[in-house]
Amino acid sequence: MTQIISKSDLITWLNKLAESHVLIGPVNDNAGVTLFRKVSQAEEIAFDFTNTTLSPKEWFFPPTETLFTVERKDGQVELVPAEDVEAKVIFGMRPCDARGIALLDKPFLNEPADTLYQQHRDKTALIGLSCREVLPECFCTSMGTAPDDSSNMDILLTEVADGYIIQVVTEKGAALLAECPEGLLKQSEVTPPALSSAATVPIEGITEIMAENFDNVYWERLADRCLHCNLCAYVCPTCYCFDVRDYNDKGKVERVRTWESCQSSGFTRIAGGYDRRAGKAPHLRQRFYHKLFYFPAEFGSVACVGCGRCVKACPVNVDIREVIMDVHNLGGQSGQQ
Amino acid sequence: MEKQIRDKAKELLSSQAVDCVIGYGRATDGVTSRPLFVYEPEKADELIFDKTCTHNLTKYLLNRKGKKTGIVVKGCDSRAINVLLNEEQIKREEVSIIGVVCEGIVEVSWNQVSEILQTRCRYCHQHAPLVYDFLAGEPIKELLPTGEEHPAVTEIEAKSLEEREAFWSEHFDRCCRCYACRQVCPGCYCTECFVDSLDPLWVGIRIAPAENQIWHSIRAFHLAGRCAGCNECERVCPMNIPLRLLNRKLANTVEELFNFQAGLNAEEMQPLGTFIKEENVGIG
Ligand code: SF4
Ligand code: SF4
Ligand code: SF4
Ligand code: SF4
Repeated sequence: MTQIISKSDLITWLNKLAESHVLIGPVNDNAGVTLFRKVSQAEEIAFDFTNTTLSPKEWFFPPTETLFTVERKDGQVELVPAEDVEAKVIFGMRPCDARGIALLDKPFLNEPADTLYQQHRDKTALIGLSCREVLPECFCTSMGTAPDDSSNMDILLTEVADGYIIQVVTEKGAALLAECPEGLLKQSEVTPPALSSAATVPIEGITEIMAENFDNVYWERLADRCLHCNLCAYVCPTCYCFDVRDYNDKGKVERVRTWESCQSSGFTRIAGGYDRRAGKAPHLRQRFYHKLFYFPAEFGSVACVGCGRCVKACPVNVDIREVIMDVHNLGGQSGQQ
Repeated sequence: MEKQIRDKAKELLSSQAVDCVIGYGRATDGVTSRPLFVYEPEKADELIFDKTCTHNLTKYLLNRKGKKTGIVVKGCDSRAINVLLNEEQIKREEVSIIGVVCEGIVEVSWNQVSEILQTRCRYCHQHAPLVYDFLAGEPIKELLPTGEEHPAVTEIEAKSLEEREAFWSEHFDRCCRCYACRQVCPGCYCTECFVDSLDPLWVGIRIAPAENQIWHSIRAFHLAGRCAGCNECERVCPMNIPLRLLNRKLANTVEELFNFQAGLNAEEMQPLGTFIKEENVGIG
């Protein structure tokens, strides 16, 4: 027996949660872009979305956020750290994106933890939604998650014919469900529909092979067509480069952090003007070494969840699945030239 | 046409007239295309040309200065070649142009090929390249007579100032400053873009409405009279910002004021890069 909730009752429950939380969910805008946005009521949510244009990482690691302000008051200099005080519920987290957040935790919550990130995490509950459809660009099952993976959620919902199956995963999730008005949850025998399987990529052993191929001419050839935009990093749920700058307005200083990426010309140059990754190939190679070599070496898993966003969005089809396969074919005999 | 392109590429590579041919190959979805760099004559058979070949490859010439390069160029893209020649960014003798006669490119995205002709193609007057060394395909008579163009621009012009502000704010607010639009643009080749300058910091680093507006306004001005109209910026934008409207508007203005269109030839100087004292067009 499982607990299920009908769609209209789900909306009622979400609206109830919205009374005490900021409710965030996927929203379609006029221009054909779907983003996780604050909604004033659950009816605004696009329940039938496939995948959002940007990942929900923007609610934990926002494109732009103030870290602290410094102000002079009565002859004293006062430093006020930014604080996240809003309790939030994100509805519609996909399993890949939730794993993305779990991966972001590793660098951000590694001691000393990033205070603001920690607050966003603590203040936010995740109501996941299993995927109904595996898209051609998806390869989550090779990257440690699956269309119905509940592991990084507080609650996971799975759509079935007459509503959504509810799986409570954490205490935070149980607390949210406790707020569900009485009588809305039903018992049912339904089982979730079977899904087609996601594309598979040979990820096994990739880190060892990467270790052998740093100087391979492959990266030169791959970088030929790369435009070195920030697109792939900005759509990615696991990329976390940032830039920090002070804004000074009439004596009030604000320290601001924004998204950045390894493809930008300022990458590493910001720290003293020396570009350790100068040139096309070193720039693009950095993207794949960070995901498939440095991150696993540091934190134990590859920094990709197989959401397929970069596959779909790259203007020139730099396809990480193809790169992983190519690297496999490079094998151990380092093809240095 | 594909055979002509492949044969020419093979010939250029085998005779070492060039050491690389930049053309189109199949993307990993099996249905769309992607830029392909061919270094060996045997690989030339991977070159393709079809209605999905949307990329303006001329941007890549900027990475190959001093190296002999063959390149596949559509009609619209050839205007970018002229812009780059005029601005002395590429040398004519370093580039072997395989021109293609193009009947139009359709709207494409990864794994999706539509039947809808791209907007630039619906208003195209340049099906055959303006500049080339070898032409693949038969010259066709131009498919469209010159006439009313870009109704979308006229539509925006008809809006009130407030409506226009609301229209653009809604779009610019969404911009994530990924700079894909700039990186794909052959006209954006500055060693240091104003928006990347760290010292001085011309534009703040916030990804936020005010900064986004400055970014877009200044970029649009930098492309006025230089934008070749390939519309790649709009295609690559993950946030679906209608950059084309902005660029078309400025192209129209430059045409009205100076009777100039970007890239029609390599000789004529672009108006905003020229100072003629007598040329008082009432803008200051
Ligand atoms: S891989 Fe694609 S999306 Fe990423 S920087 Fe290169 S061109 Fe841009
Ligand atoms: S690298 Fe690409 S597929 Fe992997 S998580 Fe990032 S955006 Fe998704
Ligand atoms: S926006 Fe302007 S400064 Fe930046 S690259 Fe383009 S032309 Fe250069
Ligand atoms: S491509 Fe789109 S989102 Fe990226 S900087 Fe340009 S307008 Fe903004």
